[in-house]
Amino acid sequence: MIARKTNEDIDDVAVAWVAREDRAPLSEEDKQALRVWLDGDPRRPGAYLRAKAVAMRTLSARALGANYDPAGFGGAEGEQRPSRRRIMAWGGAALASAAVVGVAMGLQAPRAYATARGEIRLTPLADGSTMMLNTQTLVRVKYDRDRRFASLDEGEAYFTVLPDPARPFVVEVAGRRFSTTSGAFRIRKLKGEPLDVLVHGGRLDLTSHAPPGAERAVVLEANMRLTARDNTAAVPRRASQDEVRRDLLWREGQIAFEGETLAQAAASFARYSDVRVVVPDPALAREPVVGLFAANDPVGFGHAVAEMFGATAEVRNGAVVLQRGSGEE
Amino acid sequence: MFNFSDERTRWFMNHVLPHEPRLRAWLQGRRSAVFDVDDVIQETYTILAARETVEDIRNPRAYLFQVAHSIIVHHVRRARIVSIRAADDLEGFDPADQAASPEQTAIDRDELQRLAEAIAAMPGRMREAFILRRVHDLPQQEVARRMKLSESTVEKHIGRSFKFLIQRFGDSGRPGSRASRTVKAETAVFDRAKNQRGH
Repeated sequence: MIARKTNEDIDDVAVAWVAREDRAPLSEEDKQALRVWLDGDPRRPGAYLRAKAVAMRTLSARALGANYDPAGFGGAEGEQRPSRRRIMAWGGAALASAAVVGVAMGLQAPRAYATARGEIRLTPLADGSTMMLNTQTLVRVKYDRDRRFASLDEGEAYFTVLPDPARPFVVEVAGRRFSTTSGAFRIRKLKGEPLDVLVHGGRLDLTSHAPPGAERAVVLEANMRLTARDNTAAVPRRASQDEVRRDLLWREGQIAFEGETLAQAAASFARYSDVRVVVPDPALAREPVVGLFAANDPVGFGHAVAEMFGATAEVRNGAVVLQRGSGEE
Repeated sequence: MFNFSDERTRWFMNHVLPHEPRLRAWLQGRRSAVFDVDDVIQETYTILAARETVEDIRNPRAYLFQVAHSIIVHHVRRARIVSIRAADDLEGFDPADQAASPEQTAIDRDELQRLAEAIAAMPGRMREAFILRRVHDLPQQEVARRMKLSESTVEKHIGRSFKFLIQRFGDSGRPGSRASRTVKAETAVFDRAKNQRGH
């Protein structure tokens, strides 16, 4: 080989720069050194951009929650043995054998999973399927021989269901039952709000209902959304890619606004934090908000919005108060 | 002359990074003595960093393959010796083949799960540093204090964790790539399920 740096060496330097930026803002001297390095080889800027993007992607690790336990994801000793998920992938036919089902699928005693306000948690289930619970959510799970069952009592959860045609995954929420053999979907039931179901991948069938008979044939496929009040028939509709993406940002600990009023935006933060965002001035409360914010940082939101509208954000008595005008009150 | 803004980085993260395994597999299928697959990938990304705007790119995936293709052409020309193989490949290029179906994109998007698994697969100290920094969101300085390490050691762990993830997320054919096998297996499972539904 020619004595030219290998692309792997370049990656080593690129990640070292990004790790340094992750530690603290670069000094002027470092910035200059980085510029010189970038200009030295046509591969370096690309390697650096990729390293930055991967580092940005890891910001969503926060959404795993403080209780994240790598052992639940095939970590540490899991390295040696194939995960359940891989057993399933490779041994589809073998799943028919009851012995394998017992080992690979793990029958589970009923269990409840709950998150506190502001907490987001990814929970692996016995068969390798997962649920991501948003703030203030309660889900109960029970795996039987012929059915995987979960009930969403309140809150919002994203389910990734691994295929098992012999054992459907059933979710009960607000008196309705949804069933799938494989798919990914988000279900939300907040107090005083309609049931909201969004299918991300695969397919979901509405199997039971009130009133009887009214919704017999409802099938939801990828990018379809259904909202329903207690006694009305639920009618699904298509959701745009953009709507889907925004709707699922909470999984990365983020909230997106696209022209919602400041009052509505403030209310969204109330789901995630005890720190309220208060906007006493009705005119300011009607201003439209656009942007992407960290869900668990109402103070940061307050400061960003204050800057947007030439207002001030003041933290007092556990609330962020937004006000226009220069402190004459 | 390069754009490394948060906006460009986010665009790259959302629209380019997810396609790297396919890009690498495609390049490996065209491997020749004339170019190194990972050189081409880095140079391709350099072109993306050098663009003034990316707003006009309607199909980032197709564009990505086009840029990679043009870089191969450049390498092949520079090498002067054009193997029959390389020449054939240049003719037979159709970026339209590389467009993902919407469903694939939807499934590829469930990335937090993959991140959780990737962290679990990191070696011990690196994993500990990464979890404190990213999952618990502590500054590197605080991570160093808790792990009783120097700040520069923590910085190294964090840097190596990024490299670990670059390789894990970008891999589809490097020898011993656990990540790629798992991804393929998962995709296969979803594909099978789709077929059973009669799609």
